[in-house]
Amino acid sequence: MISMPLLKATIKSNYKVLIIFMVVLAFYFSMIVGMFDPDTLDSMNALIESLPKDLISALNFTIVDTSLLGFIAGYFYGFLILLFPLIYSIIVANRTIAKHVDKGSMAYLLSTPNTRVKIAVTQGLFLIGSITLLIAFVTLIGIISSEAMFPGALDISGFLLLNLGTLLLYYAISGIGFIASCFFNDTNQSLAVGGGIPVAFLIIQMLSNVGDQLSNLKYATLLTLFNPTDIINKVSGFGTSFVALFILSVILYSGGIYIFSKKDLPL
Amino acid sequence: MIQIHQLTKSYGNKKGVFDLSFEVSKGEVFGYLGPNGAGKTTTIRHLLGFIKPDQGSCKIDGMDCHREAAIIQKNLGYLPGEIAFFDDMTGIQFLNLMASMRGLKDFTRRDELIAQFELDTKGKIRKMSKGMKQKVGIVCAFMHNPDILILDEPTSGLDPLMQNRFIELIREEKTKGRTIIMSSHSFEEVERTCDRVGIIRQGRLVAIDDIQALKAAQRKLYRVTFKTTDEASKFAKENLTVESMYENIVNVAISGDLSQFIALLPNYSVTGLDVITQSLEDIFMHYYGREGSK
Repeated sequence: MISMPLLKATIKSNYKVLIIFMVVLAFYFSMIVGMFDPDTLDSMNALIESLPKDLISALNFTIVDTSLLGFIAGYFYGFLILLFPLIYSIIVANRTIAKHVDKGSMAYLLSTPNTRVKIAVTQGLFLIGSITLLIAFVTLIGIISSEAMFPGALDISGFLLLNLGTLLLYYAISGIGFIASCFFNDTNQSLAVGGGIPVAFLIIQMLSNVGDQLSNLKYATLLTLFNPTDIINKVSGFGTSFVALFILSVILYSGGIYIFSKKDLPL
Repeated sequence: MIQIHQLTKSYGNKKGVFDLSFEVSKGEVFGYLGPNGAGKTTTIRHLLGFIKPDQGSCKIDGMDCHREAAIIQKNLGYLPGEIAFFDDMTGIQFLNLMASMRGLKDFTRRDELIAQFELDTKGKIRKMSKGMKQKVGIVCAFMHNPDILILDEPTSGLDPLMQNRFIELIREEKTKGRTIIMSSHSFEEVERTCDRVGIIRQGRLVAIDDIQALKAAQRKLYRVTFKTTDEASKFAKENLTVESMYENIVNVAISGDLSQFIALLPNYSVTGLDVITQSLEDIFMHYYGREGSK
């Protein structure tokens, strides 16, 4: 169902981007873990209290509890994790299909005895696979840096669950980029929609965190389905969010493949 | 082998192809001529299955070009009109990717073609000249010995020497019984390779005929330069079709037999004699003008 030679070529032309994002995320993550200090956490909380309240809530820097997991969930999974992998998925989703169509190299891919479905599945699988690798890497870095600096302090099962949620969120977000990449023949349009929607979700989420008047906005953003505090505290309903994200991802990816297999290509 | 039946695809603005029907039989080399924007590439896109017809159908070997594209491609070589590769690859990396996506194991033909076209496959495609990229495309289209070849302006970017090599290649493939359809806007190129020619204008097939018939009807323009203006005007009164004259230059149009024209020349002091290359449009306008008056 996939073309191995194409998969290899796609990996080869994208692995550098993946590595850059891995390095950046590893850097931020270990820094945040390094900032954790149970003794001074109370004073940290006090410091945060002293900042304008709206700014804190916009960035989702809410300290839930004084455990290491709570600290990581609050600082890293509240905002940074929503930013860097988001950029990665926007860039790479655009490159999987739309860039080949825009540049015309898709003509060569399709002049080989491979169906459009096969080519789209291969490219989609690369996107899913590389995002899985990115989140798995972040998970690993999180565990390693926590264990190195604060042995035994991290609730590993809770942390894994948190990352499972992150992964499902990114399947859905990259699905938006993928379906846009399959739909548009022009990379500018593919980027505008495939990147614009996730970025709009992020901005809407920040706004909805700010004040009670805007809190209804949370129903307008996909990111509401990913709530780090709820996940680590196992608040009921997080499972439903996981299922919803999963179903959405399946719809977005298979929709993209379907659209690409049917549409007229300007090659 | 290749059947196009009442194909219509409209892009609005009178762009597209309209009610197009023709067939290319097995072993035939078919030249597809027309000015830029006439609908040549649109037709080829249908044959490759990149786009679906609004009406009508395209079939290769009895298979629908859109639905069964992947099966058709097994036995088809395609040279796109615009060269757009994977920029970050070298020539050989690209050819290897294409070969492996085809499941091609035998590289004899590929290496023959690389040698024949003096292609340097080590350089990055991004840094190649237009002609060099075109050669990569040619090798890619022919390397798996396909029975059907669809070539979109195959010689664009090639220098005259390589254009000749390409024409040799087409003749060689023809002896192997390949079915070839090649688009072009150069009559000379088509004249030297094709059995039959179809001409498309504004999305409609305006002519389809044997190359011999077209050649016989082809009218050539000769520019004769005389020593003096007087001689020129005297020459213009001879029994010849004078297209135009300017001072000491006379343009004469001749179709077929040249002997009468040549016999007249020694009577004058001629300082120059040139053949004026005619645009494709001119050639066919004339061809159809004649057909109409018959």
